[in-house]
Amino acid sequence: MKIRIDHKICTGCKQCEIACSLGHTGSVNPWRSRIRVFVGEEFCLPVIAGPYTEAACNSKGIRIAEGVDVDACVICRASCPAKSVYKEPDTGIPLKCDFCGDPPNPQCVLWCAPNALTLVED
Amino acid sequence: MFGWNGKILRIDLTQGTSRVEDLPAYLMKYYVGGRGMGARILFDEIDPRIDALGPANKLIFATGPLTGSGAPAASRFIVSAKSPLSNCVASPCCGGYFGANLKYSGYDLLIFEGKSPEPVYVTILNDRVEIHPAGPLWGKVSSDTEKAIRNEMKTDYGLDNWGLNCMGIANIGPAGENLVRFASIMSDGGRAAGRSGLGAVMGSKNLKAVAALGTGQVSIADVEGFRKAVMGFYAEARDNGEFQKRRRYGTWGLPGRANSSKSQAAFNFKAGYSEAFVKYENPEVIRDLIRVRDEACFSCPFSCGKRSRIKDAEYPLTAKGPEHETMALLGANCGLGDMEDICRANYLCNELGMDTITAGTMISCAMELFEEGHLPEKDLGYALEFGNTNMFILLRQIAHRQGIGDLMAEGGIAFATKYGHPELFMGVKGMGIPAWHPQAFDALGLQYATCNTGGSHTKSTMPFYEGRKDPAHFVEFTKKDQDYIAAADSGVLCWIIYHGPLWGEKLSEWLTHVTGVARTKEDLDLLGERIWNLERLFNLRAGITGKSDALPPRITKEPRVKNRVVPLDTLLVDYYEWRGWDKNGVPTRKKLEELALEKEGEGVI
Ligand code: SF4
Ligand code: SF4
Ligand code: SF4
Repeated sequence: MKIRIDHKICTGCKQCEIACSLGHTGSVNPWRSRIRVFVGEEFCLPVIAGPYTEAACNSKGIRIAEGVDVDACVICRASCPAKSVYKEPDTGIPLKCDFCGDPPNPQCVLWCAPNALTLVED
Repeated sequence: MFGWNGKILRIDLTQGTSRVEDLPAYLMKYYVGGRGMGARILFDEIDPRIDALGPANKLIFATGPLTGSGAPAASRFIVSAKSPLSNCVASPCCGGYFGANLKYSGYDLLIFEGKSPEPVYVTILNDRVEIHPAGPLWGKVSSDTEKAIRNEMKTDYGLDNWGLNCMGIANIGPAGENLVRFASIMSDGGRAAGRSGLGAVMGSKNLKAVAALGTGQVSIADVEGFRKAVMGFYAEARDNGEFQKRRRYGTWGLPGRANSSKSQAAFNFKAGYSEAFVKYENPEVIRDLIRVRDEACFSCPFSCGKRSRIKDAEYPLTAKGPEHETMALLGANCGLGDMEDICRANYLCNELGMDTITAGTMISCAMELFEEGHLPEKDLGYALEFGNTNMFILLRQIAHRQGIGDLMAEGGIAFATKYGHPELFMGVKGMGIPAWHPQAFDALGLQYATCNTGGSHTKSTMPFYEGRKDPAHFVEFTKKDQDYIAAADSGVLCWIIYHGPLWGEKLSEWLTHVTGVARTKEDLDLLGERIWNLERLFNLRAGITGKSDALPPRITKEPRVKNRVVPLDTLLVDYYEWRGWDKNGVPTRKKLEELALEKEGEGVI
């Protein structure tokens, strides 16, 4: 199972961040979410936290998406020492998407009303 | 604590100090949040007779227990202060990201007092509250102000991209700095606490902007119940055609609906229809012309916001809106028909920080004065018949108080009176009236006339819903809808989604799940009525009486639309009775006792 992200539909509402936080902590705090939405003028980019890396990579730079410059670290899913996203704010413990448990029940997909996030079979 | 933080952040701009206070329990119990708390604090802490632009006025940014909770379309905050335009209590509501961030910073309310000796802006990052000199920001338009503050904060706070774009900023443009009486408070790239001129109150305090970024949380009392309720709401909305339309078109479906039913403000309310708007009767046309993407406020599944773009180098790459109100007031009402022109007018007002509705009625008033020969061309320096794009020059002049703009910045009554025709300003209590022509629906006329904040449409519901057109019942509905919206504004829920009777019961559902304090519909009706009456008492103390519950004579005497006039005098008799007020529109002792407001009524009733 995969979560398909359609950035062209994403509205920047951040209900997915809220859903993830609510599901994992029982309270609402986007800083505890495993999904983060980067809101831009032309489009928004939801990014789901991937694995933790011990060291920052040296391939940082700019990628072009939809004709707009995007910081590569924004698209990168890693919880990494070079950035503050995907870490528990109090403890600094890295966060990683766990598909909301076993069996998977991704809350972010359920709370994404515009269907920018959808569940697809492999 | 669930829902609330239980804290007030109070900033004294005269002294340059801030302190945190506990939020009194009675405020949570009897006023809930947002508009209710704002009204109560204003009533308790300021003399309603003060000069709204003097240092004694207070500016309150008020969230509610639902703000930032994840309840659909509950991103919002209310700004409360005495209005420099209507002299009434004001409570415009604004979306975007600011409200939730104030909440996540650990506060329910943010109160500004006094006046800073120098221009400043304030940043709030949880308990780190700082007042910075705003010298270089003063004079900047709204979007440049936001950009500059984001850049500063990026370095000062070491924020990454995501943290930066979580932030919410409320700010003013040049119009607020120059104390234009209908200046708006702008937020997050084109959202606005637009009506009532509170941008000028911010300007009078030398406060250019306030930025909030919170990393805290809102705790939910009944997580499972809440989650189920939200999912239930999503399922209902999915099958609801109205909602699908809202998501696709935002308010862009309305210009056509208003125009084709001859109910649109047009040509200074001389008409209910504009030939030039016929092409927008299919909202797909507007989408094709200007839309870039759908844009939601924080935590809103409905994304009524639309980012737009026009091909004109002078204007920003993309911008928000225009909404229906703006299209009608700055468009049809000023004789503009070209969508790019309407976008220009919208961008100008947003960047300069002016309410598009009142600005539209100001310009249309000037146009009619000009066409009728009352406003000489030499006073303007250019011609200004309906549809003339010289109105863009005039909008800039108002914001900068240049030439005739200086007088117009004082509001429609002062301006139209100077040129001998106060009746040509289409406003209530000094505030321009909105897009739907009141002669199309009596209920609207009554609503505009009796609204506590001036000529506003967002303090009641729209007149197309069941019963609101029925002559035997709409007065009762007006009273009840006003009370219900006052309660929703205290949540704080978005009017766009919750104004219809359809979703009214959701307010009690969300409040109960989030705060753990059960509130029935009856409790909320009482809450709304208490707020409405308290606001009324504030206005009475400020010297605004039932005599101001009036409409422009064009609406009550000249049949311009559907060959009808609004029979306001008879409606008011009925309305005051439903309210439990006397024939002068003053609450009776009995009513105030019901609402436990008898002490507040002393000296007024
Ligand atoms: S699937 Fe679950 S854990 Fe992963 S981002 Fe979505 S809500 Fe968070
Ligand atoms: S919930 Fe969906 S639309 Fe909203 S920000 Fe997340 S991905 Fe985008
Ligand atoms: S309905 Fe529109 S204005 Fe209301 S919260 Fe949603 S996006 Fe914002």
